Parts: sequence; C-alpha cells; structure tokens
Amino acid sequence: MSRFFIWFALVASLVISPFIGSVTLQLADIFDLSTLHSQIFFELRLPRVMFAFIAGAILSVSGLLFQTLFRNALLTPYTLGVSSGAVLGAGIAIKLGLGALFFGISAINIFGFFGAILTLLLLLYLSKFIKNVKSESLLLLGIALSLFYASALMIIFYLGSAIQNDTLIRFTMGSLSIIGWQNPLFIGLVAFVLVLVVYLYRFELQLLATSEESAKLKGLDSKKVTYMLLLISSFAVGSLVSISGPIGFVGLITPHIVSMLYPSSINSRVLKTALFGALFLVFCDTIARLLSTQNDLPIGIVTALIGGPFFIYLIIRKKE
Amino acid sequence: MIELKNLRCRYDKTIILQDINLKIASHLSILGANGSGKSTLARALSALIDYDGEIVIDGADLKSLSNKTRAKTIAYVPPKLELYDSFITLYEFVLLGRFAYKKSFFDYSSEDREIADKYIKLLGLEHLRGHTLLSLSSGEQQLSLMAAALCMQSRIMIFDEPTANLDPLNSKIVAKYIKNLKRTHQIILITHDLHLASFIGSDIAFIKEQHAEFYGSEFFSDKVLEELYGVSFNSLVIEYE
Repeated sequence: MSRFFIWFALVASLVISPFIGSVTLQLADIFDLSTLHSQIFFELRLPRVMFAFIAGAILSVSGLLFQTLFRNALLTPYTLGVSSGAVLGAGIAIKLGLGALFFGISAINIFGFFGAILTLLLLLYLSKFIKNVKSESLLLLGIALSLFYASALMIIFYLGSAIQNDTLIRFTMGSLSIIGWQNPLFIGLVAFVLVLVVYLYRFELQLLATSEESAKLKGLDSKKVTYMLLLISSFAVGSLVSISGPIGFVGLITPHIVSMLYPSSINSRVLKTALFGALFLVFCDTIARLLSTQNDLPIGIVTALIGGPFFIYLIIRKKE
Repeated sequence: MIELKNLRCRYDKTIILQDINLKIASHLSILGANGSGKSTLARALSALIDYDGEIVIDGADLKSLSNKTRAKTIAYVPPKLELYDSFITLYEFVLLGRFAYKKSFFDYSSEDREIADKYIKLLGLEHLRGHTLLSLSSGEQQLSLMAAALCMQSRIMIFDEPTANLDPLNSKIVAKYIKNLKRTHQIILITHDLHLASFIGSDIAFIKEQHAEFYGSEFFSDKVLEELYGVSFNSLVIEYE
C-alpha cells in the first residue's frame, strides 16, 4: 500500500511538474504554439522536467553502483569527491574565462567532465597505497579530496571577479534550469548507455556484491569489470555535474529507499533504482518550484531537505 | 595432478613460503600452526595472490588459465562468508557458483538453476532456500558456501579452515560432507585441526618455517607427531565419527 502511494505521488509530480512555476500554465494554452505559454512549456518546462528525470536516473544508478562496487552504503560519487572534482574543473574554466571550445560544447562542461574523471583515477591510484584497502579508508580519502577541492575553489573565488564568482556560486548550488533540448538529449544518451550497461552487467554486480575475491574465484575478472563500471559511471556523473552542478543526496538515498521498498538482490534492483531516482528528482524539483515561484531554489538544497529526514525515518523504522 | 615448482609467496617484503615443491596427485591436507602460511598456499593455488615459481594443474600453468577456465577447474571455499548484498537469498547465492557457465549478459539458464537446486538439496538446505543468507547461522552459511562451490563443478576443491567458525555439531556435519566429496573431487584441505585431517584421510603436507614437508599416511604415527608437535596422536584425538 505504502509502496503504491509512493509511486503514485512520484508519478503525479511528473505529470503536474511542467505546469508549475513563476507562470502557472493551463493545459489549453500550451497547444496554441504561437503563445508565450506554449513556448515556456515546450522550451523551458518540458526540457527541465526531462533533465531532472534523466539526472535522477544517472545519480541513483551511479550511487547504487558505487555502493555495491565498494561494498559500503556511504560511498557515492558525491561522497567520494567525484562531483567536487567536476565543480573544481568547472570553476577553473569559469576563472579562465573560457568560452565555447569544441563543437559548441562549453569549456565549463569539458573541464567539469575531466574534473570528475581525473578524481576517480586519482582515487583508484591512491587506494593502491592503502594497505588492506577498506572502504572506510576510501571514504576518508574522498572526504580529504573534497576538502582539498573546496580550498582550491576558495582560491578561485578569492581571485575571481564578481561576475565570475556569481556564475560559480550558482554552479556550486546545483541547478536544473536549462533552456532548450540540447542538454537533456545529450545527457539522455549518456544515461541510456549507463543504465543499459549496468543492466547488462547486473549479474556481475550481484557477484561483486559478495566480495571481490569471491567474484574472482567464481570466474569474473573482478578488477576489470569494477574499473569499467566505475569509469562509465564517473563519465556519466561528470557529464551531468558539468551541466547541472553538484546535486547531493539523491545517489546516496535512492538505492536505500528502493532496497527497502523491494528487499531483493541487487540484480533485480537496477532498473527500479533508475526509475525511482528519476521520478524522485522530478518530485524534488516540483517541490522546489512550488516553494519559490519567483526564483529557483537550488535543487541540491531541496534534495537534502527532503532526503535527509526521509532517510532518518527509514533508518529508525528499520531498527524497530 | 597439481605440481608446485619452487613456489615462493611474499606479503610485501616478508617471505611467507619458499622453495615449495610438491606433486599433489591425490587428496591432501595442509597442516601447520596458525600463521604458518597454510592459507597463503591455498590462496596461491586459487590464484587469489601473486607468487613466484610455478603452479601447474593437469599440465597447464595456473596463471595462463582464463578466469572462467580456472573457476571450472578449482573451487575455493573460504573460511567464512563475506557479503554486502543483505537481500540475496541462499538460492541466489548458490546460483552464483554457476557464473563461469552463464552466457554473458543473460540470466542463469534452467540447467544452472537445476544444478543449484541439486546441491542445495544434497547439503540439506532446501528449507532455507528462500531465506536471506545473512539470516542464516554460521554453520548454514558454511554449507551455503560449499553448495555454491559445488555448483562450479570443478575437479579440485580447496577448503580453507572449513570448521574454524563452527560449533562441534556443525563441524561434524561439514566434515562428513567433505569426506563424501572425496569420491567425486580432488580435495585439498587447509586446517590446523589434526583430527579433521585424520578423519578426512588424505596425504599430509606440513608447513613449518616457510617450507612444506610431504607425508603420506605415516604422518599420523606417534613418531612423526612427537617430532612435530611433541605429543602422541592418541592424546589429541577428538572423535568425528
């Protein structure tokens, strides 16, 4: 029953989301393509809802992937500093005042993307020097990296002009405001590849959730598959975060919520996690726009405000 | 036939085992004190750790085998379960033993599922089939690990301290199953438990000071035991029968 209610609320938010905002749209208005309302609907609202949907899928599948591959419930691209790496990369591009670089793709996106990928490679490289790699030490490594990045970002703030800093601050808050269909289509393609690969590798993932050794004993090239999945996921998160800025909490909590709604082995939770995460972010974005119709409330704040208490509630209920 | 040629295993710069030369044609129990390097040898045999020298299995170099071929040749049963997926059921876990036989990207075949069920039944675990693995007792988990390893249908089975975490009753159950497997598999047993080794009844390799000494059945003579342990066998006997 509660499962049905949760899905119903999420799907309902998907349906009403494009109509909510500083201008409230009526269904009748939007089909008259000459009106401003129609333009708002098709060029702003729909792309934004699509973008939120796709971003949610990427963040939650990546969260599930990181948690499983590192066998630790707290490890996600966000907590490991991969998102912070993207922010720093984007910050550098903003500070350097770089415009469009390749084929009309902005330098901010490219730098953000490489920030994420390089952070993952750095993490994997550094983890070789930790004796008996425990996932806890990896988490500490991620926290250390995030703090280091935060300081580096401070330097950029310190040196930056007012205009650069304003752009940067808005970027670090995480935003789903986009115009037009270019970003949702690009990110949609990335998300499709990510979800497809993780789905195809769902049994490998199930095996890796025992232990790396046990997976190797049963015939899997554990290291190769782990690195491949981490790389694809960082590629996706890097691409997303370079456009949206960091959006925390979604990747951390949605895999847990789905596992509580559907207590089953990991292989059967991949697609459910993707769908739930997608709808969850649309839901959060709808709330954000209901709360402040004049200015955009940064989505990262809303996900944490909704996600945090919900997570605590789930933990307490589980204890009982 | 398993041949170890000038095997040397290190952990960082510390040498754990060296100059190991063994020809293992039949069942073998590897004995030695805690920390003597028994498990290291088992892990080398399962290609879980790197080593110098050669391990040749039925004429093929262990390092040259693909992961899947190796899994179809050697199954290693660890001393205890490690698991992150808290929702995986006993049945799903045992089915993982069929991974090397599964077609990439596809689900486990109906044949894989029949084999998993066969071994679950063989080890008397049917009533726990749908239970999550983490809800089972250590004894039941050890049997589940065995069932998953049996699904791999490999010729060689390595048991690393299979009774170390078990109470006496479960130890007996596990010991009896291992003994039964002698008919179908080449068993390599790692244990510090003399009586388990004696009950299983196999050749013995004794590891001491980084080296392995090979003994046939004469290992359990008072002369050898007094030399190695300083006491006679009968003074140490706990009955498994």
